[in-house]
Amino acid sequence: MARLLEFTLNGRDRVDAVADNMLLLDFLREKIGLTGTKTGCDGGECGACTVLIDDEPALSCLTLAATIAGKRVDTVESLGHDGQLSAVQRGFHEKLGAQCGYCTPGFVMASAGLLRRNPNPSEAEIIDALGSNICRCTGYVKIIEAVKYAASLNAQGVSP
Amino acid sequence: MNKPVPAHNIGDYVPMIDGPDKVSGRAKFTADIVAPGQLAGRIYRSPYAHGEIVSVDVSEALKLPGVKAVVTGADCDKGFGVLPIARTEYPLARDKVRYRGEPVAAVAAIDDATAREALRRIKMTVSELPAYYTSQAALAPDAVQLHEKKPGNIERDVLYELGSTEQGFAEADLVRDGTYNCAEVCQNQMEMHAAVAEYDAVRNRMTVHASTQVPYYVHLMLAQILDMEMSRIRVIKPHVGGGFGCRTETLNVELIAALLARKAQGTVRIVTSREETFITHRGRPETDVRLKIGMRKDGRITAVECECDQRGGAHSGYGVVTILYAGSMLYAIYDLHNVKYVGRRVLTNTPPCGAFRGHGTVDVRFAFESLLDEMAAELGLDPFAVRRANFLTAPTFTDNDLMVNSYGLPECLDWVERESGWKTRKGKLPNGNSVRKGLGMACSHYVSGASRPVNWTGEPHATVKIKLDFDGSLVVLSGAADIGQGSTTILAQTVAEVLGLDLSRVRVVTGDSELVPKDNGSYSSRVTFIVGNAALDAARNLKALLVNAAARKLEARPEDIECLGEVYRAGAQDRGATFDEVVVEALKDSGTITVTGNYSTIPESHGGKKYRGAVIGGTMGYSYSAQVVEVTVDEETGVVTVDKVWVAHDCGKALNRLTVEGQVQGSVWMGMGQAMSEEAAYQDGLMVTANMLDYRVPTIQDSPPIEVGIVESNDPHGPFGAKEAGEGSLAAFLPALTAAITDAIGIRFNDLPVTPDRVFEAIEKRKRALEKKKGAA
Amino acid sequence: MDALPDFRVLNPETLDEALAARAQHPDSKPLGGGTDLVVNIRRGILAPSVLIDMNRVKELHAIKVDENSIEIGASVRLTALAQHSDVIAHYPVLAQAAAHIAGPTHRNMGTVGGNLCLDTRCIYYNQSEWWRAANNHCLKTTGSMCHVAPKSRGVCFATYSGDLAPALLTLQAEIDLAGPNGKRTIPLEHLYIGFARQDVPVTETQGDGKFFLSLRPGEIVVAVRAKNTPGLRSAYDKIRIRRSIEYPVAGVAVALKREGDKLTDLRIAFTGTNPRPVLLAGTAELCGGGIDERVIKGLDALVRDQIMPMKTTFTPGHYRRRVAGVLARRLMTRLYES
Repeated sequence: MARLLEFTLNGRDRVDAVADNMLLLDFLREKIGLTGTKTGCDGGECGACTVLIDDEPALSCLTLAATIAGKRVDTVESLGHDGQLSAVQRGFHEKLGAQCGYCTPGFVMASAGLLRRNPNPSEAEIIDALGSNICRCTGYVKIIEAVKYAASLNAQGVSP
Repeated sequence: MNKPVPAHNIGDYVPMIDGPDKVSGRAKFTADIVAPGQLAGRIYRSPYAHGEIVSVDVSEALKLPGVKAVVTGADCDKGFGVLPIARTEYPLARDKVRYRGEPVAAVAAIDDATAREALRRIKMTVSELPAYYTSQAALAPDAVQLHEKKPGNIERDVLYELGSTEQGFAEADLVRDGTYNCAEVCQNQMEMHAAVAEYDAVRNRMTVHASTQVPYYVHLMLAQILDMEMSRIRVIKPHVGGGFGCRTETLNVELIAALLARKAQGTVRIVTSREETFITHRGRPETDVRLKIGMRKDGRITAVECECDQRGGAHSGYGVVTILYAGSMLYAIYDLHNVKYVGRRVLTNTPPCGAFRGHGTVDVRFAFESLLDEMAAELGLDPFAVRRANFLTAPTFTDNDLMVNSYGLPECLDWVERESGWKTRKGKLPNGNSVRKGLGMACSHYVSGASRPVNWTGEPHATVKIKLDFDGSLVVLSGAADIGQGSTTILAQTVAEVLGLDLSRVRVVTGDSELVPKDNGSYSSRVTFIVGNAALDAARNLKALLVNAAARKLEARPEDIECLGEVYRAGAQDRGATFDEVVVEALKDSGTITVTGNYSTIPESHGGKKYRGAVIGGTMGYSYSAQVVEVTVDEETGVVTVDKVWVAHDCGKALNRLTVEGQVQGSVWMGMGQAMSEEAAYQDGLMVTANMLDYRVPTIQDSPPIEVGIVESNDPHGPFGAKEAGEGSLAAFLPALTAAITDAIGIRFNDLPVTPDRVFEAIEKRKRALEKKKGAA
Repeated sequence: MDALPDFRVLNPETLDEALAARAQHPDSKPLGGGTDLVVNIRRGILAPSVLIDMNRVKELHAIKVDENSIEIGASVRLTALAQHSDVIAHYPVLAQAAAHIAGPTHRNMGTVGGNLCLDTRCIYYNQSEWWRAANNHCLKTTGSMCHVAPKSRGVCFATYSGDLAPALLTLQAEIDLAGPNGKRTIPLEHLYIGFARQDVPVTETQGDGKFFLSLRPGEIVVAVRAKNTPGLRSAYDKIRIRRSIEYPVAGVAVALKREGDKLTDLRIAFTGTNPRPVLLAGTAELCGGGIDERVIKGLDALVRDQIMPMKTTFTPGHYRRRVAGVLARRLMTRLYES
């Protein structure tokens, strides 16, 4: 079965034909070509596929595209404005929150979701918010620094 | 006029030059290569652990519409393997299957659903053989051999004694031994294995995009497996989502993709599942260590006897090297004499192990440091004092001929002792009712690149080219594989530093055999040292050329030319010429400039000949690490919490403090996973933990603050004095953790991982023993 | 790319539409956040021909809560439950249980109904199609043997791991169900029938790890509700090897009342140990005095008799039972003394 799906992707309304049994992750990567969102496990165990659905972090590897009609989906490709990296992106880049970069889009989106609802999180709140994401390179120390730095940039007016 | 200042970056905190690609989702990994008409590849894997293949029937799969090619062992009779002496693995099993999950056949189809359906239609029959899932079972005298040429199922045994252990133990005041077991662990890098192979039938050319640490080795193996000239093959390494050693050899996925692409005469993408990534494996083998140390009252070690068995899995992989590292790297950290080592690499019916970060050294280091800690306590010595009693004095050669030129271990110990407050806090941490705290410490070390490459061709060990053209940008061409460790950034920094230019002038091109010089790849922490030195050489050659051009333009002698980065001048009064002007002048000679830099290790670093395989362990420089770990143990639940880690790492010279810190933190943390929660477990050879729920990589909520001290011992041969930073700090975490637990609750754990149920059981056992004692009294 | 088996997704907007869809498609499955169901579909464990997306059904999204009672719709997100200030204030055990589930992103997706009906788990079951075939399948799927207990005579021991159920059991919750024959309300305890008794055949009231819910064909969860007991203190705790993402090694909910120096009401429920969440029977006998040696030993004995983890997880069953007892004792003591 397939359907016409109306939703908002990275700020733009669109209509796509989509099979009922297609994961949002595969829809984004294989059909639309937004490969920033990553596949890291066989379902729900690593967070690499994290996107925002109506501003809340969600696992696109367990979300069926057929359930997102009318919703807003934001992927890592939506971040940054006027050629500048967003606050979270700058945090991960400048503080080395990203090493190999594979888990990074998931972490960046989970962090962006956090800063959208809580612009000034404590360290404990950062750790709580990133508990669904696995990174194999950093040991997380610099990821925490990256999000703290992003929050401070955000406070100076850089979009999260 | 202000004096122009050359730009400078070495020793700074420099964000990775490819960071913006990674944080924006623009960085392309192999699985991201999506092309029209691309076929989906899937692999049929053996459900049997050990058996002779009777038949592999793919006829029903071939009948399925949309199936474009099916390959089996019959399509390739060439073996592969990273070591020239052990190429016994086939891309698709022939004659025999030896582990559950071994590839047997593969399908290329128009889409994933069709490929999956095709797999369901493949039928394999085997005549089953007895299977062995532990070293012990495989070593039994009546065990069936996995490989014809490996009697006793021993891939390699190692035996040496340097000095006299008999005499050494006789000189000791205390002799103690211990047995240790470390569970098998997996790299579990975040990117699952993937390959995209494009076969150009018209020109008979093959292009393979491989998620690898070693594009050159993949190139070699593709040529062998496909029986194609190397000149017809191109290997491209896109961004790689971590390796940690599992991608330091050609993997069957890459070869199978190529076999399928050629047969389908098209492009095939294989993206394996997480489970398949686990089963492809190449992790750290389950290791049993029996260790005996003799020590004088002052902590001086007089003799060491070490036996080590590794459950290697069904194929050799790096196995011979792993078992040799485990022995040779007993040395080069402390001043040891009278050492005996007995190592056995065993073949079993489990997925093949390989080279995992800290290759070969980690489990033996765990045993060694644990026993030192235990003996220190028995002798009433501080664990720091025992290490200090056994320092090496650089420069020196060890008894097994390893060359040590720089040795920052003393400073590492001083740093962690001071920063952790060891002297004032040890033994005085506040305890709760059922919650106890402890501190533990340990040391470790690692090589900065094996001094001899696996494939010894006689060429320089590394070659880097720099291209400079009309646009004034420096393009560094290198085959070094950046897998997230930041090697590309280090090469850019090196070239920019020598020329005094801003990093933005430098671009680095890597990872395409069509464009860049051959490189042996990213393993054994070789890139910064070996490729870094080649980049240094290339940059100096370019600088010499530019100085000559500047001299010509400024009508001065080359030796009078001062290079200030963006300005070249002849003396302080000279206004000089800009970099761009110098480039224009330089191009007049030859057009586009290409300079080459080379590096080869020196023969003194190549290890000795005192036993077979003594070359393994040889390197240009060893990194050193010391750690203090603070834990809280809940005695009622067995839950151990790591509160904090202090780690000092001697990396010679931190070329980039940001990436050094990141590498050291990542190593320590990966050691924590192995020590506390990770384990590859099997049920009759089926990996039951082949997912990220049961294979327990620590989450952010389990991970402590890790404070890093950088120690700079300035290695005389390292680029700017640098040595490795990405592996040496892993091993010390394991024994430092168990020492901290011992400090907290008085129980020592010699088996890893130390999971809550193990801690709980040990505490219960002690309770029972105490009650029994009470009862008896 | 992970091609899933072919299925249809229906997106009803009212409960009636959902029920009609369910009636029309007997092998359909209600879809909440997908954090359990979609994983199992991806692993080839389940292949329903129709998924009914419950997330747009208007009637299922409310949390009605005050100091007297609470009612939670089946499609309420776990995050919403965990962060609701009145739930935190009046039903702490429930808010804490919700806050302990999986990881934060999972909780944004997962629903109350989904967590209550969480499929039971086992290392021989939660594996890929290839893995299960290589292991000759198991009782819970198409096989003929339980690999946990090969002599189980047809009984499956897969473990129930939902965190909300034990919390709600200590609140004596009821669950509202709707199906082709109308609505009914049953004590939540009666929803869980995974008794896994080898001496009794599997029936509508006596199931095992495979038949662990008493839902009738076509029935769906509408809401769960409970009344507050004045003076009840409650809390939830659990042990995991890692502090996030994982299912519980053992989870414990405790609710109790203290009047003066007397324990007058004690309810303890466990998850992660048996094929059902276990509301410990016999706790009334521990009441009447303070928390002394008798109560501690009595609790240990109840746990020993009723909590029986089998080798369904990588962590040994013995430890899961013992640590469940430790958590129960700690929570009980803490709540009593608070």
